[in-house]
Amino acid sequence: MKAILSRRKQNGRSPELGLRAASFIFILLMVVIPMIVIIQDAFREGFDEFWHQVSQPVAAHAILLTLWTSALMTLINAIMGLATAFVLVRYDFPGKGILNAIIDLPLAIPTLVTGVMLVILYGPQQTLGAFLDQQLGFQVIFAPPGIVLALLFITFPFVVRTIQPVLLELDIQQERAAATLGARGWPIFRRIIFPALALPTLSGSLLSFARAVGEFGAVVIVAGNIPFRSQTAAVYVLGAVESENRLAASAVSVVLIAISLLVILITNYLIKRRQIS
Amino acid sequence: MAKYQGTLLFALVLSFILAGCGASQPAAGEGSQGEVHLILGAYTTPREAYAEIVPLFQAHWLEETGQTVIFEESYLGSGAQSRAVVEGFEADVVALSLEADVTRIADAGLITHDWKAVGYNGMVSTSVVVFAVRPGNPLGIADWADLAEPGVEILTPNPATSGGAMWNVLSLYGAALRGHVAGVPAEDPEAAREFLTAVLRNVIVMDKGARESITNYEQGVGDLAITYENEILVGQQAGNDYEIVFPASSILIENPAAVIDAYVDKHGTREVAEAFVDFLSTKEAQEIFAQHGLRSVDPDVAAATADQYPPLEDIFTVEFFGGWPQATEDFFSENGIFNQAIQQAQGQ
Amino acid sequence: MAFTKTQIPSASKRGWGTRLIILLVILYVAFLVLAPITALVSGALQRGVPSFVTALSTQQLWQSFVLSLQIALVVVVIQGILGTITAWIIVRHRFSGKALYNGIIDIPFAISPVVVGYMLLLIFGRNGALYPLLDAIDLQVAFAVPGIFLATLFVTVPFMIREMIPVIENLDRAQELAASTLGASRWTTFWRVIFPGLRTALFYGVALTMARAMGEFGAVLVVGGGVQGRTATTTLYIYHALEERQYVEAYTAAILLGLGSVFIVSLADWVRHRSQR
Repeated sequence: MKAILSRRKQNGRSPELGLRAASFIFILLMVVIPMIVIIQDAFREGFDEFWHQVSQPVAAHAILLTLWTSALMTLINAIMGLATAFVLVRYDFPGKGILNAIIDLPLAIPTLVTGVMLVILYGPQQTLGAFLDQQLGFQVIFAPPGIVLALLFITFPFVVRTIQPVLLELDIQQERAAATLGARGWPIFRRIIFPALALPTLSGSLLSFARAVGEFGAVVIVAGNIPFRSQTAAVYVLGAVESENRLAASAVSVVLIAISLLVILITNYLIKRRQIS
Repeated sequence: MAKYQGTLLFALVLSFILAGCGASQPAAGEGSQGEVHLILGAYTTPREAYAEIVPLFQAHWLEETGQTVIFEESYLGSGAQSRAVVEGFEADVVALSLEADVTRIADAGLITHDWKAVGYNGMVSTSVVVFAVRPGNPLGIADWADLAEPGVEILTPNPATSGGAMWNVLSLYGAALRGHVAGVPAEDPEAAREFLTAVLRNVIVMDKGARESITNYEQGVGDLAITYENEILVGQQAGNDYEIVFPASSILIENPAAVIDAYVDKHGTREVAEAFVDFLSTKEAQEIFAQHGLRSVDPDVAAATADQYPPLEDIFTVEFFGGWPQATEDFFSENGIFNQAIQQAQGQ
Repeated sequence: MAFTKTQIPSASKRGWGTRLIILLVILYVAFLVLAPITALVSGALQRGVPSFVTALSTQQLWQSFVLSLQIALVVVVIQGILGTITAWIIVRHRFSGKALYNGIIDIPFAISPVVVGYMLLLIFGRNGALYPLLDAIDLQVAFAVPGIFLATLFVTVPFMIREMIPVIENLDRAQELAASTLGASRWTTFWRVIFPGLRTALFYGVALTMARAMGEFGAVLVVGGGVQGRTATTTLYIYHALEERQYVEAYTAAILLGLGSVFIVSLADWVRHRSQR
């Protein structure tokens, strides 16, 4: 056995290293170098200037708006994504196939079209939009709720599709046993299902948060884009790029990248810790 | 198992064949005998006009030289288009919203001739800043002063991304400074800025471009859109029922077109590119611009279409603000007048 | 997606809570995903079926669709190979900085597409670092098909990798060892032992990558410039159609994109279904 293992190691080493090199070069060229370019660009006039760009009221406001709308979206997405995945895996009802098929639709529809669709649906002249606006005094489009709605639409598949496979593999015997022992509905969910799903839910949600922070195509159409009121960071970046304020564009981009990377690293750390324990 | 390998291999081969087709796209410039490619980089507003001018020019050039001109057209916001050209979009001819966007290309060393010496100071069309209001003008909007009334919902694009928005802001501020806004004293920059702030407080959507702003208005958003005269006329031609309101005072919007020397020399298309820019100033082309809502730079065409384009009480140019470089610096820089006003308007 | 019916509690045992949660999920999906899509379809049909058919047979639409498809196919092949390799490296190899590496691969997912386009211009644009080299070999990247291709490649990096990682983690290593002990070559081991386990995830990854590639807008707009007949992908075709007030054409193109992606994702589901039987 030992001999086999060591021979395997000898034979196996070089092609595996080749794979590793291929992967490193790919990620280096595709992801790392562009990132280095933009980080270097953001700091080319020193940290003070970087900080000045980021802490400008209009930029800071845009970053904050992005963060809170993304966070709110993430919360809703976590709850509803969990419920949707659960219903899809565990229950049978008419129309389930269709429901399952349309989960991925948001991935397929260009974000630009998403924005236009939401304006058609919730615009002030449309029945739904007019009803919400005039009867309930709730403005959806061109206000933060519109941003949250657009983000929810775009990121909906992420949470559902992260939880679904885990739920499929979850040992139903445990639940059966619990049910036999007299536990019902909610306790089963809380004690057995939820602990297993907490992590996929969290990682799916954080992933959708990371995606939401950079969202542009739909948001630029539904947000209203008023500085200090409804302008998100990604739209601010576009404005900075277009008005040749390169430093501001790079600086705010770097902040967005840093937030996303941090969120992703936290997610991965949580997953890893769970796997070890 | 083998079936899947086959599928995978098939997909691989197919994609590379397709990729090969994609890569073999024609390059700009002289193609096969009797064909020439011309790349036009334009701003979005006059695209309907160019849709008619381009075929006319193609016929004209075919008759004159026996060559077929194949156009490749790109329509983006003026600023985005100008930056694309500077960053390497090899347009032979640009047609943009404002002079500053052509100046940027010239400053990058890509335009080496005196483009303002061509035609009418390098300009091919003009327009004025006006308001689109709902049918029957329910709010009774008559002039700039009405825009500051509380509760009027206004659409105007974002000056950071739209040339059109810069014209709007300058027009509004200039009208106030020149004493054409009721209740705002003339020659008082502080009062003019406060007026700008009051109007910005009523703005509900700032789209990224002038065209998006007016199409959003068409979806029923807001009471009023500040926009170009030609955007409204083209929108009405497309079947929209909003009405136009002319303010007493407006800036004269002047739209330039120019040949990009560096790229025409690279493509060998100088002759046809220059002919196209010259063609834009001909009566034929000017009449088409006039049909699509743009005020003609040709005095005869302008006189012939005068009933369509009523004169305003007061028209000023960007020179009132000391030219584009000065205006950009004063209004749209980090601590510029616009940014101060929007900050104040949003209660920050 | 395949679900074994025996695991699903029968309808008769269903309590009110269960019915409520199913109803809630259906309403949520209807409101979030179905309502905007219905608005889109009714928008495409607003002037009747004949205009819809005319819009569908526009030559420009199909030109742009073929360009999008070509780019997406090449991207899918590259992501399929290098994404699988990268997922393999992350699961099976030990190297320092792996946690960071694992985080970096998700970055494209979170970066605003505007920033992606802008980064590529910083590198390949006329003032970019690589421009002299590209100019010397007369290769145009920015504002040409290679630029769009790179942008699409960038934004799709995480999809395949994320789909493959959990599957590779669950692979039975004893089988691989057994195969190599029995003298199978590495290649045979890969095709006969490892690949069958990856196949469904591969199809799913391909589907998601494809959908994302076809739908990309912001990055393609910034780096491609949207030149008609040269760099006009389907999303840019939609963008231009919207600006020209050709709403039927725009919505029809969006439906075409959506249906294409639904088809691909359904195909992946079907493959998964078959392999589970």
